[in-house]
Amino acid sequence: MSEVVLQSIVKRYEAVPAVDNISLSIGEGELVALLGPSGCGKTTTLRMIGGFIPVTEGRILVGGRDVTHLPPNKRNMGFGFQNYALFPHMSVGENVAFGLQMRKVSRADIARRVKIALDRVKLAHLSDRLPKQLSGGQQQRVALARALVIEPDVLLLDEPLSNLDAQLRNEMKLEIRRIQQQLGITTIFVTHDQDEALSIADTVVLMRAGRIEQQGAPDDLFERPASHFAAEFMGVTNLLPGEVAGSDRFRLKGGDTILVPVAGRAGPHAFAIRPERLEIDGEASAANTLSAEVEIATYRGLVIDYRVKTPSGLCLTARRPSPAAGGPAPLPVGRPVRVSFAPEAGTLVPM
Amino acid sequence: MTGSSSPPSPALTLPAPRARGGWRLPPAFGLATPATLFVLIALIGPLLLMFRYSLNRFVPGQMMVEALTLANYAKFFGDSFYQEVLGTTVWVSALSTLLCLVAGFPVAYFLVRQASPVWKGRLLLLVILPLLMGNAVRTAAWMVILGDKGLFNAVIGVIGISPVKLMYTPTAVVIGLVSVLLPFMIVTLQSVLEGIDANLESAAASLGAGHLTTLWRVVLPLALPGILAGTLLCFILSMNAYAPPVLIGGPSFHMMAPTVYQQVAKAMNWPFGAALAFVLMAVTLVLTTSANILVQRRYRRWSE
Repeated sequence: MSEVVLQSIVKRYEAVPAVDNISLSIGEGELVALLGPSGCGKTTTLRMIGGFIPVTEGRILVGGRDVTHLPPNKRNMGFGFQNYALFPHMSVGENVAFGLQMRKVSRADIARRVKIALDRVKLAHLSDRLPKQLSGGQQQRVALARALVIEPDVLLLDEPLSNLDAQLRNEMKLEIRRIQQQLGITTIFVTHDQDEALSIADTVVLMRAGRIEQQGAPDDLFERPASHFAAEFMGVTNLLPGEVAGSDRFRLKGGDTILVPVAGRAGPHAFAIRPERLEIDGEASAANTLSAEVEIATYRGLVIDYRVKTPSGLCLTARRPSPAAGGPAPLPVGRPVRVSFAPEAGTLVPM
Repeated sequence: MTGSSSPPSPALTLPAPRARGGWRLPPAFGLATPATLFVLIALIGPLLLMFRYSLNRFVPGQMMVEALTLANYAKFFGDSFYQEVLGTTVWVSALSTLLCLVAGFPVAYFLVRQASPVWKGRLLLLVILPLLMGNAVRTAAWMVILGDKGLFNAVIGVIGISPVKLMYTPTAVVIGLVSVLLPFMIVTLQSVLEGIDANLESAAASLGAGHLTTLWRVVLPLALPGILAGTLLCFILSMNAYAPPVLIGGPSFHMMAPTVYQQVAKAMNWPFGAALAFVLMAVTLVLTTSANILVQRRYRRWSE
């Protein structure tokens, strides 16, 4: 269990950077999520930490030890693969025992530690099965047990939940968090799913095109996206381009001017506001009110998404609870509405 | 489940469609018919005919006389010369196959794991290229290299090593056979290694296994089906090899296939030639089948 430090690491494939100067410091026992769309370099970064991909530039330190040029088998890291990579010709027990055999642990100790590791993921009763006889969720647990039984300094997980169905994913998510906290192991996991990252990570690192776009606590990233990309990736569907027009005023592209905290910004920005923060037909005294018309209504179970359009051509999405969740009756398409929001309901992000 | 207890609808209780008009052949069967017929007529037919010949009697001057005798087989088992020929065939084939495996595995592994897609295509083409040339042509080239005044002796002569007698030795035959069989081994192994997830090797490495341990504990067991297939292919081809033993082995080196030919075409002893061919086939079958059973027992558990 150790802290991990990445010192401006770079990975170039024939001059094309896949990872472009990433520096990151991960505290002992911390769970960090590398989040980003496919091709952003998150998996490459993880594989460099694991030692499977050579680093072009920079250094990787684990507990103060420089591991940049160590082969994977000398790094003492547990790695969870997206497809689990269980050895198909070995039983569950043999899979978990493999790492201990490599460490020349005595036979009796191996049996004991394999049992403990499988108990931890609640699979001790399946020890003699072959991996293909297990469900996806069970395979994932075996992979986790196999990676953890060697008592690694760091646990690295590559999209650990992406091959599971929604319900199992939720369960495994909590399971990973539980085990991680129980063992207090420094963990880095890669995901493209913001919900996964937000719900279990201590720190979320949002990546884009080989660089870190923004990093911080989950609520920090979710509530205060610092860029257009971050806002978009964190699920802010309304990104209204425009320009700062004096203190507390922002002129939207269509010509409407709204009241928002500008906080010393200037020039072209986008106003980012979540659909949940837009109120339909709320109090007339709200600071910002736009009149619009319902264009599309999308029923999504607990909520209804309304796409509304202002006379100036501005399109916004507003979300309201559906009647199933105690919300008001649905609005018909074509209905004129008033859309309002408080100045601090959204943020300005640079374009 | 809705909890309703109405009987299943009649449509659901109908028997499966194929029970309606009797048993129907799957469509693939129709497509497989030409090949099946061809094998029956062009392979099984001649084999039966040959087997019948092997029971005939050979009378010099009259060639073949209709009979039902095991004399030809008795002759094989009674004559140590022919048993030595069989022995030579088996050990030369086994050695050539082993060398192919040892030399071919690293090449196949490199092709699959290290080579870039562009180079993989090019290198694979290079591996297969020799197969585009006739067996006899390639073997003739080896005669040029291995001859007493050949390329090999010329090269080692430059370094100052005295010439080695290679031509017309079993060593030369093994060299020739390996060169003929290696592409088969590499291509077979390559296709099987291609199916092994590279992440498994990464997983082994992250668990602390070095390259050799990973090879021994993970790659080789998973490649076993391919190793078996390549080995059997090379062994069978080698057992039946003709050109290399004749051209590089010389007149005093004997393997089974040339001996069969010599009996049929030179001595005109068709019955004995047929018997030899059947002994060769039987030995090859027994050896390959037992290898198959032995090896398959090891990987059946996880491969099914």
